[in-house]
Amino acid sequence: MEVKLDKQYPLDVDATRSWTLLTDLKAVASCMPGAQITEQLSETSYKGAVKVKVGPAVAQFAGTVDVLELDPTLKRMVMFGKGADKTGSSASMNMTVTIVADPSDPTHSVLNGQAVVIVNGKFAQFGGRLMVQVSDMLLAQFVENFRQQAKTLPGAAGAAQVSGAAKTASRPEPAQVASEINGLAIAWMLVKNWISGMFGKRS
Amino acid sequence: MNAPIPSLEARELALAGMGASRLRKEDARFIQGKGNYVDDIKMPGMLHMDIVRSPIAHGRIIKINKEAALAIPGVHAVLTAEDLKPLKLHWMPTLAGDVAAVLADEKVHFQMQEVAIVIADDRYIAADAIEAVEVEYEELPVVMDPYAALAPDAPVIREDLAGKTTGAHGPREHHNHIFTWDAGDKAAADAAFDVADVTVAEHMYYPRVHPCPLETCGCVASFDPIKGDLTTYITSQAPHVVRTVVSMLSGIPESKVRIISPDIGGGFGNKVGIYPGYVCAIVASIVLGRPVKWVEDRMENISSTAFARDYHMDGELAATSEGKITGLRVNVVADHGAFDACADPTKFPAGMFHIVSGSYDIPAAHASVKGVYTNKAPGGVAYRCSFRVTEAVYWIERMVDVLAQKLGIDKAEIRRRNFIQKEQFPYTSAFGFEYDSGDYATALEKVLDAVDYKGLRAEQALVRANPDSPTLMGIGLVTFTEVVGAGPSKICDILGVGMFDSCEIRIHPTGSAIARMGTVSQGQGHQTTYAQIIATELGIPSEIIQVEEGDTSTAPYGLGTYGSRSTPVAGAAIAMAARKIHAKAKKIAAHMLEVNEADLDWEIDRFKVKGDDSKFKTMTEVAWQAYHQPPAGLEPGLEAVHYYDPPNFTFPFGIYLCVVDIDRGTGETKIRRFYALDDCGTRINPMIIEGQIHGGLTEGFAVAMGQQMPYDAQGNLLGNTLMDYFLPTMVETPHWETDHTVTPSPHHPIGAKGVAESPHVGSIPTFTSAIVDAFSHLGVTHLDMPHNALRTWKALRANGANL
Repeated sequence: MEVKLDKQYPLDVDATRSWTLLTDLKAVASCMPGAQITEQLSETSYKGAVKVKVGPAVAQFAGTVDVLELDPTLKRMVMFGKGADKTGSSASMNMTVTIVADPSDPTHSVLNGQAVVIVNGKFAQFGGRLMVQVSDMLLAQFVENFRQQAKTLPGAAGAAQVSGAAKTASRPEPAQVASEINGLAIAWMLVKNWISGMFGKRS
Repeated sequence: MNAPIPSLEARELALAGMGASRLRKEDARFIQGKGNYVDDIKMPGMLHMDIVRSPIAHGRIIKINKEAALAIPGVHAVLTAEDLKPLKLHWMPTLAGDVAAVLADEKVHFQMQEVAIVIADDRYIAADAIEAVEVEYEELPVVMDPYAALAPDAPVIREDLAGKTTGAHGPREHHNHIFTWDAGDKAAADAAFDVADVTVAEHMYYPRVHPCPLETCGCVASFDPIKGDLTTYITSQAPHVVRTVVSMLSGIPESKVRIISPDIGGGFGNKVGIYPGYVCAIVASIVLGRPVKWVEDRMENISSTAFARDYHMDGELAATSEGKITGLRVNVVADHGAFDACADPTKFPAGMFHIVSGSYDIPAAHASVKGVYTNKAPGGVAYRCSFRVTEAVYWIERMVDVLAQKLGIDKAEIRRRNFIQKEQFPYTSAFGFEYDSGDYATALEKVLDAVDYKGLRAEQALVRANPDSPTLMGIGLVTFTEVVGAGPSKICDILGVGMFDSCEIRIHPTGSAIARMGTVSQGQGHQTTYAQIIATELGIPSEIIQVEEGDTSTAPYGLGTYGSRSTPVAGAAIAMAARKIHAKAKKIAAHMLEVNEADLDWEIDRFKVKGDDSKFKTMTEVAWQAYHQPPAGLEPGLEAVHYYDPPNFTFPFGIYLCVVDIDRGTGETKIRRFYALDDCGTRINPMIIEGQIHGGLTEGFAVAMGQQMPYDAQGNLLGNTLMDYFLPTMVETPHWETDHTVTPSPHHPIGAKGVAESPHVGSIPTFTSAIVDAFSHLGVTHLDMPHNALRTWKALRANGANL
């Protein structure tokens, strides 16, 4: 089961801070509901895990994430992640994320994400028809967490003002995120989006 | 003086023999929930098996870690291919001359392939434990499309066949090629096309579907380590063949293997083959010395046990400008999945596909079928049809419509012009089949009159003339011939065993009887209909005739029930066994009445002396005499066994007509009318025939209108639950009208041809014919199944016919 995603998320965070957060894979992972980086294998390679719960089915994907390309000039990162759940599902994702500055407002930026997600096994069989919607939901949650966390970073403008403190300040704890991807919450969001989409069309 | 002799009618009625709509003997237990299915079998000390299956469609197994599963309390064993290897049971032969992995040996070839088994105290522990078995895979490129599978650089699916350039059915031309099978005369067909006034060509895909019986597959294997014998209760349509295969695989003498098919909740071809689950349960029972039960769930059934169809068909017809067909050519690419596990007679890798010339007198014809491996589950069984007959009938019936459309001839008229005529029977087709009997023209007129065909066409013209009509109206017509009753052992065998069938009848001293056959009922009502044949042949009321099947230790050897072979083959064996008894009974009666045999007449239930109605002996009296004081020189007892090797197939036929209304807004199709006329030769039980036809039409409706196995490019089956896979209920099923003509088979002892599969085979192209007919004025010549609302709506849009 292959799903192609191409999404743009406007952020109320400047491009520099967004990019800074994006290059910290551990922090980025913590923005993905239920995901975490468990081990760094090399400069560009990590071990990670994602826990997904859809109704009674829980899958614990364990796998690797490799940063294939990191281009600070273009603010572009290409990642490949793959993982498997021991009860019979596997997934892979090839994702390109680019941070684009908002020309009209330097305090804002846009996160562009293109991903090809392939899911095999039980999750494809059970969840095939919901894959696109669920992926959309996950990304939306991810972006919200990302936005919140990026805002806590010392900004380019603010850095000068709090220079002394910034050096010693440890990175703040990530905003609280759901510890697993919650199927019920997803279902609720799906229904909500569907209903709002329905009314959206009429207006 | 004796009591007055009841009237002939009363005696006939008392027998409830052939022709009587006798109520089904099976139903009393089924409607009370008292059936005895495999999952009802419980044995002392019985353990439960579950199967670890591959989540991916193609990959290499790197590592299997059993430790966590074995640590779960109540788990007795976890077995993989490595454990079966020393027993040489990690691979097994298939019915098609290939081999199939019992448990994946280094590689998985399709999603849900069996990788390991867990044996535990109960079903729940087993289900938990399979999740604890960790399997690490290296994913390999997946090949789902049979055309792509034949590309020179396509991934190799079957590494175990490396270097094998010859398969069971001839040379292999590519690493994913299984066989190429030809029938007919290519040169003659090509010549017909060279000089034809008109030719038509069409590509059609007959989708992969699954028989999906209500009861899934399973078994209870019980090996007795003391006696060294093995008893297995199994969901099998062919228990005797299973016994032979189990004996060959396990080395246990066939005399110590007992296979029992208890009540079976539908087979439809799905329960002909031998599945890895059966083999594993048997091995586990032998290893552990305890009974082991395995019953698959619905997802396992749809995903891994035998599918049907999956034929990509390219074909052409050549004809004169008057619509007389002069030539036929068809090329098929058949997707067989990862192992060739079709259940066909050995010599016919594409089954009876060469019935593809249908009910028509076509002088020159050629068919070629190419079998291909892909990363899908194995199978290719006859889903409520004789081997590959559904595909063949679909193709020819569609093509005749396409030709009619091209020539502007009505689809009923073009059939009239091409029918094999009544006086041409027995008729030898261009493919070499000898059609036994038929009267297509009479049957067609009967149907056209019954539905007022002309009126329907006039109505359709009005609908088409109205641009605001909310619906499109279509009329489907199919005039099909089936080939069933496999088959003559000189051409038909399975694993070398000829496709005869058998019957043993014993008449008890007081005149009741027991009969046992090599077939096995899965809903056909054998207990009811077989007794009716004996009742008529021997004059014993069917009510006191017990019919037993399915236990290899008591029943005579037979090849089982599939391909509509029970009545044509076992039904004939019953009549022949009964006639042996009848012949002996006549000798006894002659002795009792002190006359010559030649002086006796048979009348319903008794032998009587010619010209003297008062002198007679009933079969009951004869039976007593046979055990009490048989004539000198005659063995006591009254029983017989007959193994019937049919001289030919039988060729039932039917004329089906369907009227549909397609909603131009939603694409939804309403089946307004479906009229099915069947001719199955002599009719044994009209009520059961009607039931069989209703069932077959409903399954045909399911295939045509909704069933599909949607695989994605990675090999995931995205529709393996009953939420996705279409099984019609009373809500969706249309009303059926049935009718019949009777053209007995001249070579069958009672003239019966078999009926259960005709409605499935015949109805599927009828639905397509009706749907395409609704679009035909827009130039549409063919639409592939399934005709669900979405696909039909897309067709409406593509042709500018949507509202």
